[in-house]
Amino acid sequence: MAESVNEERLTQELRHELEQELDRPLDEAELQRVRELVRAQLRKELAAKRRREAATEEEYFVRFSRNFCLQHLVLAISVILLAITGLPIKFHDSAWAEFLFRHIWSLETNRLLHRVGASLLMLVAVWHIGWLMTREGRRDIRELLPRVKDFWDFVAHVKFMLGISAERPKFGRYSYSEKFEYWALVWGTAVMVLTGLMLWFHGIALAYFPKYIFDIALQAHSGEALLAILALITWHMYHAHFNPDVFPINMTIFTGKISKKRMIEEHPLEYEQIMRERAEAEQQ
Amino acid sequence: MRKIIALWVASVVLLSWLGYGQRDPNARCLLECHANPNLKREVAPGQFKSLYVDYDQFKASVHKDKLCIECHTDVTVIPHQRRPDQIHCLQCHYRGNVVGAPVSERPERYKESVHGKAVERGDPNAPDCKHCHTVHAVRAHTDPRSPVYRANIPKTCGSCHIEIYTEYLESVHGQALQKGVLEAAVCSDCHQEHDLFPPDDPRSSLHPQSVANTCARCHADVKIMERRGVPIKQVEAFKKSFHGIAIEFGVLKSANCISCHEYHKILSSRDPRSPIHPLNLAQTCGQCHPNASSNVARGRFHIIPSDPDAGIVFWVYEFYRWLIIVMTSFFILYIALDLYGRWRHAGRSSHG
Repeated sequence: MAESVNEERLTQELRHELEQELDRPLDEAELQRVRELVRAQLRKELAAKRRREAATEEEYFVRFSRNFCLQHLVLAISVILLAITGLPIKFHDSAWAEFLFRHIWSLETNRLLHRVGASLLMLVAVWHIGWLMTREGRRDIRELLPRVKDFWDFVAHVKFMLGISAERPKFGRYSYSEKFEYWALVWGTAVMVLTGLMLWFHGIALAYFPKYIFDIALQAHSGEALLAILALITWHMYHAHFNPDVFPINMTIFTGKISKKRMIEEHPLEYEQIMRERAEAEQQ
Repeated sequence: MRKIIALWVASVVLLSWLGYGQRDPNARCLLECHANPNLKREVAPGQFKSLYVDYDQFKASVHKDKLCIECHTDVTVIPHQRRPDQIHCLQCHYRGNVVGAPVSERPERYKESVHGKAVERGDPNAPDCKHCHTVHAVRAHTDPRSPVYRANIPKTCGSCHIEIYTEYLESVHGQALQKGVLEAAVCSDCHQEHDLFPPDDPRSSLHPQSVANTCARCHADVKIMERRGVPIKQVEAFKKSFHGIAIEFGVLKSANCISCHEYHKILSSRDPRSPIHPLNLAQTCGQCHPNASSNVARGRFHIIPSDPDAGIVFWVYEFYRWLIIVMTSFFILYIALDLYGRWRHAGRSSHG
């Protein structure tokens, strides 16, 4: 619609100019000719714009599917909610816990919110396990398995940071630091869900387990939670936010896209593989 | 002659003054009536109230130097023109009295207490000051003959609260007191003396949010607990437990000390009658947690995770403490190293 309006406006402008120059009104055939010229020009410009857009799009790779990005989003919301409602229980003597429970929300509300967070975490865990069964998930879990190469990548990377070696190790789809974080998350979620369920359903837990198991679960829940939160605000914050490459935020996990530049820098082996696959596909 | 007269006058004045000094000013009240053990007044047909004052007891009391009329201020002539008013101890025992009547336990708060309120309602059984302190024989609480002396308090309260008294006597506190352990808890240690409020009153020492602190007055006192060989960290551990946190932040239905330990009849966990005896724990926890089984007895109670006494929980605590220290140090070191590496390479590329 906008294009036809544009086309009509340009046609009328051109007609007006021509009429002034010729000092006579254009006849129907001439007008038709002007209209065709305008249309052809607009079409050309539109095609050029699409080409430019396509060219910029090519600079990006799709790193994560929308499904995967959504998993991360739900996970992030649940973990933030769990931390906000869990920390004041662990540090109940602190002034901020006191403030929270006396002025913001009651302990009972806090428990409810913590359980909402826990439900989201369990939901995303089940969702993720289901996703791992899909073609995409099966490929990713293979890529995520720890390999001996990861250890040597780590050593090589430290050497590179220290300046002992001049070459950065080449990472595949998942670098050792990403694999480490993934498996730390898997382990942490397993511990938190297992111990958390015992605390949530303590009535049932106390019927089947000795009290000392319950006490261990409580202590592990508290310890693992603090470890996870500290890992998030150091390791994860650095890799996803404060690292100069991506500061202030690495949007890849939200948009699923990664630039060609970062792809070549951060995942050169995956980049090479994708390029090989594309070349093969084109040959066929 | 003049001299003789002067001497006579002087000796008469002196002797009469000495005589007055030696004579008890309360003597008139006593001689006339109140020393007679049979003196009584008919308060109702066939019901008599003794008006006898055991003066020997009075002279042994804290008020021994007081005059009868210092308390009975409306008595001016004998015989009394009208029946003297009831006196009240708060006539003198109030905060700010310049004469200095002791108010160490804030007796004016008595009026707000359950007993004071009951008196106000006109409950004939409600105790007034005299029911605990006696009338004319008031002795200091440090005097072993006083009804408010520590060892006598349970009996004094028990004169009305007879069932609770018998329960208390069976408890660890009652047993210890009977063995002469004066620091064993008596009624007033938990209930307060004068500001004795019902447990649902936030001012009460036995309000759910105050119970732990009330027990802590003795059970967190290292000296007393060491002397008696009782563990010291129970209250601290309770406050760190979820029950303690919940109580602290207003979930009053959460368990406090007395939910499990009982109150008047507190017994040792070794006593089979005790609710905290291992065999009774399932039932005790079951009051709130219906599924509780004998499993609740398998593990330590009142544990502080950072304390080696916590057993395996202490090791879980230590495991996570070290894991957190090592991992966080590693993360921070790695980040520092990565930033250093970037800075190095950035410097090099700008030079090259």
